[in-house]
Amino acid sequence: MALNRKIAYIDLSTGKIEIKPIPLDMRRKFLGGRGLDAYLLYNHAPKGCDPLGPENPVIVSGGILTATLASATARTHVMAKSPLGGMLGSCNMGGFFAPEMAWAGFHHLVIKGKAEKPVYLWIKNGKIEIRDARNLWGKTTTETQWTVREELGDEDIKSLVIGPAGENKVRFANVMTGIKNSGGRTGMGAVMGSKNLKAIAARGTMDIKISYPKEALEYNKRFIDQITSAKVNQTQGTLGTPFIWGATNSWGGVRCRNFQYNQQLYCDEIEPEAIDEACAETMGPYHMAGCFGCQVHCRAKYKIPTGPYKGVYDEGPEYTSQGAFCGEPDCTSLETLLTGNHLVDQWGMDNLETGSIISWAMELYELGILTSKETDGLDLRFGNDEALLEMTRRIAFREGWLGNVLAEGGIIASEKIGKNSFDYLIQVKGVSNLHSDERATPALALNIATASRGSDHLRSRPAIDLYHLPQEVMRKIYSNPVPYDGPLSSEHTEYIGKPWQVFWHENCYMAVDCLGICKYHTTFLGATLPNFEDWSKVIYLNTGLEFTPREIWDIAERCNMMERLFNLREGLQREDLKKGDMLNHRYFDEPTRRGAPDVVGRVIDREKFKKMVDELYEYKGLDKNGVPKPETLKRLGVEKEPSRLL
Amino acid sequence: MEPMGKVLAISPEKCTGCRLCELVCSVFHDGVSNAARSRIKIMKWESEGLYIPMSCQQCQDAPCMIVCPVKAISRDEKLSRVMVNHDICIGCRSCVTVCPFGAMGFNVIDRKNFKCDLCDGDPQCVRFCEIKAVDYLDADRVSIAKKKAAAEKITAAQRQAIALESESH
Amino acid sequence: MVTEKEGLSTAESLRKTRTYGQVRCHNPSCMGRLQPERGAKQVKCPACGLEFRVAWVKDGFPRIRGPVWDVNKRIAEEAFERKMKEEKRDGAK
Ligand code: SF4
Ligand code: SF4
Ligand code: SF4
Ligand SMILES: [Zn+2]
Repeated sequence: MALNRKIAYIDLSTGKIEIKPIPLDMRRKFLGGRGLDAYLLYNHAPKGCDPLGPENPVIVSGGILTATLASATARTHVMAKSPLGGMLGSCNMGGFFAPEMAWAGFHHLVIKGKAEKPVYLWIKNGKIEIRDARNLWGKTTTETQWTVREELGDEDIKSLVIGPAGENKVRFANVMTGIKNSGGRTGMGAVMGSKNLKAIAARGTMDIKISYPKEALEYNKRFIDQITSAKVNQTQGTLGTPFIWGATNSWGGVRCRNFQYNQQLYCDEIEPEAIDEACAETMGPYHMAGCFGCQVHCRAKYKIPTGPYKGVYDEGPEYTSQGAFCGEPDCTSLETLLTGNHLVDQWGMDNLETGSIISWAMELYELGILTSKETDGLDLRFGNDEALLEMTRRIAFREGWLGNVLAEGGIIASEKIGKNSFDYLIQVKGVSNLHSDERATPALALNIATASRGSDHLRSRPAIDLYHLPQEVMRKIYSNPVPYDGPLSSEHTEYIGKPWQVFWHENCYMAVDCLGICKYHTTFLGATLPNFEDWSKVIYLNTGLEFTPREIWDIAERCNMMERLFNLREGLQREDLKKGDMLNHRYFDEPTRRGAPDVVGRVIDREKFKKMVDELYEYKGLDKNGVPKPETLKRLGVEKEPSRLL
Repeated sequence: MEPMGKVLAISPEKCTGCRLCELVCSVFHDGVSNAARSRIKIMKWESEGLYIPMSCQQCQDAPCMIVCPVKAISRDEKLSRVMVNHDICIGCRSCVTVCPFGAMGFNVIDRKNFKCDLCDGDPQCVRFCEIKAVDYLDADRVSIAKKKAAAEKITAAQRQAIALESESH
Repeated sequence: MVTEKEGLSTAESLRKTRTYGQVRCHNPSCMGRLQPERGAKQVKCPACGLEFRVAWVKDGFPRIRGPVWDVNKRIAEEAFERKMKEEKRDGAK
């Protein structure tokens, strides 16, 4: 049964491993996955610890529904203090790792210390072993996985690994599983690298009892039908996430030349249709793959059609890679996109952060803040595909002055580069923004400014705000499971009602991450997709645990508060540009120049933005400085944290 | 409709590798999630993006049936399937060894063999596979479907050739 | 014929029931329904004037491929100039 999956504490310095059950009352308070991870991080990371030091715990988990009969319970979550901005680090990936770990008997791993030599963990049916990984060190992400399988003689092993970037402690190195499933954000790969932990391999054949199997099967069938009949998911299932680019770049929601423009012009080669054609040409008409148990199958398969890597197989490229290797640096070649995507997959580096930070450097180069002296002769101008890929390599292997500096992430790099370089860095809490441009969409701007892991679209983005939904539809979504009768606006350029939407999505996405299911199976890009009410049934049928939709909402709010408490402890201050809930001045000062007529000429209004933050704080039960009021902590039952119960 | 003569028809090129079929197969038969208990297994060549669903072929002259020393395995003509009678089965695993497709599994927990029983005529893997990489078709339809697909490929190629030719003129 | 339904997924059969031939304008403030002529390579939004290149998934099944750059770029530039002038006239808030 899902509820008897265990938590393991692994100390890499001493080699000590302790395995414990997860008490039911902890489940009732934090469910599992990201929520319980947030509790564990707050309780196990000493205040102010060095993110790349042995005392920073790295926590790996599946959700409470992982591998059960809910739709797409594929997600693995990793949490630690982030080496990028020193705030909350958290990443989430699809694939097949978490289900395998659950079949092997575990839901959470808390890994502390630092191994003397490179090691990997081998988890099989209730047992955990620390093994020598010296022969794996230096290998790419896929080589590592295949070698582990060979060494242990089991093709069904699923591994979570780091690549060379993680070993080199590039502060935005990612954690990967499979060909391209990446826990990309906030540098969790660097934390693993700092511990000399190259991989976690899992293989399990232990039963997970389903509480009401017949009913769960039937309910899941309906659930899946609902998910696959949403048009957005059908498009997703044919074009993959690049389909999003079609509309967002069209109307002007894509950063170009770092932050100079909000649209990339004349980029026909990397449009969703063009990418799809390349995939079809190299992999045939059925070229989509799915994560565990998922019927959306949004992962495209391709072979690089031209260039030095011609014929090499990879998966993706996702929407984020279009931004990283095309929009932001203003490169328009399909070959660059597919090659760049492949390189970061192999070296284990966040595509999003890589593209964003190089475009920033390109802007500094254009401004003369960086010169060919710092770039070691590399002509780092916008639109230079070769320079983009070369700089990607230099970062992964920390080569050259600039490669090594950019590998430190934006904040440290801006200190080393000096002058006014920081003014041009598009980040929040040390984490670069996705390639999206939020100047015409206040709701989305509020989302990235206040997201717990820094500038990020998967924490609280009301993406459906762009759909101009009818009032009654919005009402229905946003007044459940807690009543809301305040204003709501269908207008994406408005400020009214947006804080509530952000608050609602923050809780919705937290719940999804606690369950361990994919966001494409909830109210993220599709307005009609499942949320709290459906989850209450799915949890019951699979685990036997009873929660009302409202109770799930409360849990999500509590877990979000744990993340908030962590960030506050690590120095969050409302308007601090490096550690706060604040946007770069360019959002307020530089009007957008491209896109649909109504999008052109927009900035975020500073005063209205402040009011939105105030209002969001109110919903979250925070005071004007963003600190929780005592009664809020009491209401959520976290007034005694850290309570060290687990 | 009479399920007479229907078979699991697999189109590997469609398979997305999601393994939902493995999950629902184990839940349907054993009430648990455990891919190791599934009667269908997705074989993967991950580095090439190749996924092939493998399940019992319900062979006409089934090797497993022939080899069984106590005649625990028999054909059920009504559903065109090969069935194991666990009251007779002695757990010797001869069938597991002899099946050319690896479709006869052996569960070390229950110490019993297991194989696809077509879910008594409502195959769950088919029901849940959105893209129909596994389908449940009349045996004679399978070859017709394959013929049709092949013919479509040929005509598409011809059409393309014609288009190319007219372009170059 | 029953056999026609063989191999159809839920999504596929649902797709069959959808209104053919229409796409939505990519301008979020407009979202007008566009009906490109059969086989047309471009379509112009009658409501907001933006123009798009059209991809045909199959006959009668259009999808917007991307903007007609020259046209939409010009519209954006004009809008930008107009707004900057207005702002100067009204003064900064
Ligand atoms: S459910 Fe279908 S697509 Fe998914 S693995 Fe099974 S056969 Fe392949
Ligand atoms: S178990 Fe193997 S040998 Fe027996 S019928 Fe199935 S495929 Fe044939
Ligand atoms: S038909 Fe039923 S028993 Fe056979 S593989 Fe599919 S789900 Fe399993
Ligand atoms: Zn329009």
